[in-house]
Amino acid sequence: MSADPAITLADVTFAYRPDTPTVLESVDLEIPQGAVTVIVGASGGGKSTLLSMLNGLIPTFISGEFTGSIQAGETDLTVTRTNKVADTIGMVLQDYEAQLFGTSVTAEVAFGPENLGVEPAEIDARIDQAMALADLTQLDRRRPPSSLSGGQKQRLVIAGVAAMEPSVMILDEPTSDLDPAGTEDLLAVLRRVRTADAADGWSGPETVVMVTHAVEEAIGADHIIMLADGGVAASGSPEEVLRDAAALRAARVGVPPLVTVFDALGVGKQDLPLTPSAAAALVDRMDVDYDPAVLPAGAPAGTGAETGEALFDISELRYTYETDRDPVVAVDDVDLVIDRGAFVALIGHNGSGKSTLSKLLHGLLDPTTGEVTLDGEPLRSYSASERGRRIGYVFQNPDHQLFAESVREEVAFGPSNFGYSGAELDARVTAALETVDLMPLAEDDPFKLSRGQRQRVALAGILATDPNCIIFDEPTTGLDATQHDQFMQLVGRLNRDDGLTVIMITHDMGTVARYAPRSVVMDAGRVVFDGRTRALFGDPDLLAGYQLRAPQVTQLAHAVAPHTTPALTEEELIEALGGPR
Amino acid sequence: MSQAYAPFVDRDTIVHQMDPRAKLVGISALFVVAYVFSNPVLIAIPALIALGLVLSVGGYRNLRRVRVIIIALFLVGFVVWPVFLEPGGAVLLTAGPVVLTEREVFIALGRSLRIVTFILGGLVFISTTTTEELVRGLRQLGVPYPICFAIGTALRLFPTFIGAAGTVQQAQAARGAEVGGGSIRERLRGFIPLLIPVFMTAFRNIQTQSMALEARGFDPMGGRSFYGDLRFQRRDWALTLASVGVMITAALAALGGFGRI
Repeated sequence: MSADPAITLADVTFAYRPDTPTVLESVDLEIPQGAVTVIVGASGGGKSTLLSMLNGLIPTFISGEFTGSIQAGETDLTVTRTNKVADTIGMVLQDYEAQLFGTSVTAEVAFGPENLGVEPAEIDARIDQAMALADLTQLDRRRPPSSLSGGQKQRLVIAGVAAMEPSVMILDEPTSDLDPAGTEDLLAVLRRVRTADAADGWSGPETVVMVTHAVEEAIGADHIIMLADGGVAASGSPEEVLRDAAALRAARVGVPPLVTVFDALGVGKQDLPLTPSAAAALVDRMDVDYDPAVLPAGAPAGTGAETGEALFDISELRYTYETDRDPVVAVDDVDLVIDRGAFVALIGHNGSGKSTLSKLLHGLLDPTTGEVTLDGEPLRSYSASERGRRIGYVFQNPDHQLFAESVREEVAFGPSNFGYSGAELDARVTAALETVDLMPLAEDDPFKLSRGQRQRVALAGILATDPNCIIFDEPTTGLDATQHDQFMQLVGRLNRDDGLTVIMITHDMGTVARYAPRSVVMDAGRVVFDGRTRALFGDPDLLAGYQLRAPQVTQLAHAVAPHTTPALTEEELIEALGGPR
Repeated sequence: MSQAYAPFVDRDTIVHQMDPRAKLVGISALFVVAYVFSNPVLIAIPALIALGLVLSVGGYRNLRRVRVIIIALFLVGFVVWPVFLEPGGAVLLTAGPVVLTEREVFIALGRSLRIVTFILGGLVFISTTTTEELVRGLRQLGVPYPICFAIGTALRLFPTFIGAAGTVQQAQAARGAEVGGGSIRERLRGFIPLLIPVFMTAFRNIQTQSMALEARGFDPMGGRSFYGDLRFQRRDWALTLASVGVMITAALAALGGFGRI
């Protein structure tokens, strides 16, 4: 780290409008040069607002009510237009769908350099480098960005910014839709921070600033800034910030799992490990044994009953769609039986066909060949309304379905479409709102709620139809640690207590480990693994083959006791290591 | 998930490889021929050429999207034009007060074919030209960049909207929303759960998009470079010269009274 910070904020106070609350209040901070800085904090805590200041979007593009100073080297970012600093400060915004401008992958990556007036001959080389950096070398560059999977789009935006060869790169939740391997690769690239090696040309940004909700991603950073209540609650190295469990909880940031575990085991704060390797060394010194006998066979959360009654039975399912070149096989010869009351995780890397399969299960798409049966009858034989009543589908982005003026009206939409009215409709809506804990907000405008609340409104809208099964497509994207835990505990309770069948697409391996006793792994449209999550996470070779990563606690279990039943959650690991002290 | 929403057809035909400016001149030649003559036999030539081109570049899916409009324009022209034309030639049809003569039918057929030629010519162009090529072609023809960019952005937003509408439609269908059926009032009400999320999504997208443009160094008034090979090649010159030749010949022939009815 060199002495001069890359960007300095001094006494910054900001509100979007005079009549809206202050988002940041008297903030002073420095973004160190030549380092990776991670910004953490609760949803709605001002992280994105702060990021928008680091390239001057606030206050030059969004003026709002701004006071204070923002300085990047010699440049005063409060008066310099963002497009004039774009060659040195690159920014990847959160909503990647809205940042794609090109009609092909090549055009997309070339767009930034074209804006900077880079010679076409040089753009060629820049495209190659940026694509390699974003791990997209395999991609057909003529494809239109709209045809890519979520994770591929997210990486393409990153490539588009990297091609501008900025010395500072700012990213707002760049891994929200990446699979575990993709996340790891991207973080590795971002951490490969270079000191200015002008002789070799550009090989990556010197300084990286990113926002994330996943605390594991913060562990490898050089510097962490934690926001809470419109100010900087903590700033320092990962060791300084992430070992303070109480402060993290107060800021509604997830506590690193290994910190939780070793704190419970009585390890002093100074010695709390952040990585599995540090934890393994500590276990050696502590002279404790890992006892797998205390671990249950099923899911740690007690979810996912085995009833033996098939809800879904699908055989030789195939789905292809046409493109201008060749037809693409999205789901390829899949056989699957899902029991009533099951909790199944559908995992696999970006573009492996998870969403397509789940839409086939709901009948939102019709299979090209093969059949889905629901309760023993072909899915085709049900009317759309019968299907909707039995199976709910919670989409990734709640904003794709909210339209009503009040939460109550929004939640009533589904059940009223399915023929409920009067007192019964009211009772269902009230029960659903109570389940998701939104009764006090029943008359509020859904658009004014937080992302976590909006996701719960979407879930309540499905629960009010009283389905047998709910399919979730990455339901926790964009939620902070507290919102994430609340949402998953709710889903877990519905499965455990009410027998709701849950099929969940997710990239969050911690959620898979805790809630889903059964995992289905997809790759290139095929099911490549279908079995116990504990068996999957207990076999590092298998995981690596599917480009998955076990949660940190499980990685530690592997390190201290290879080839035994792995602990899947913090609580299990604490038990296996002899219980809290 | 990934169906093609954009009008551009991702193929590598010779028409795709032509310079957009040459394509514009070539299609203009079809338009000129269709415009200067009124004899439907002569207008059928550019119409058929345009149709052949649309099909050969893989533009069938675009043709299918506008087929209703084409058929409607064709039929409406047939009904409307005779009202304004002087009768002449043999009487083909008498139905009550309506009397159709040969001349009226001939001219109406020509006018309808002319409009269809315009549409098909436009389809050939948008099926084979990416937004980037179009923007760059317009820029090289001297159109100011802010206007080029506005056109490009409008074309880019189109697939974004269609994509968002598809997701919203699926999300609401899963909640039992049925669009269509019932009185007009009920139909309109049925659209609200689709329209509001699409507009909200679009509105947010546009906000993000404008910030992202700024962050990517976009400056409508500033200089920029253009990536990709876009030089006039021999075949572009050949097409341009041939097209200009056709236009002049057709105009002179029409002035001389050829192809008139």
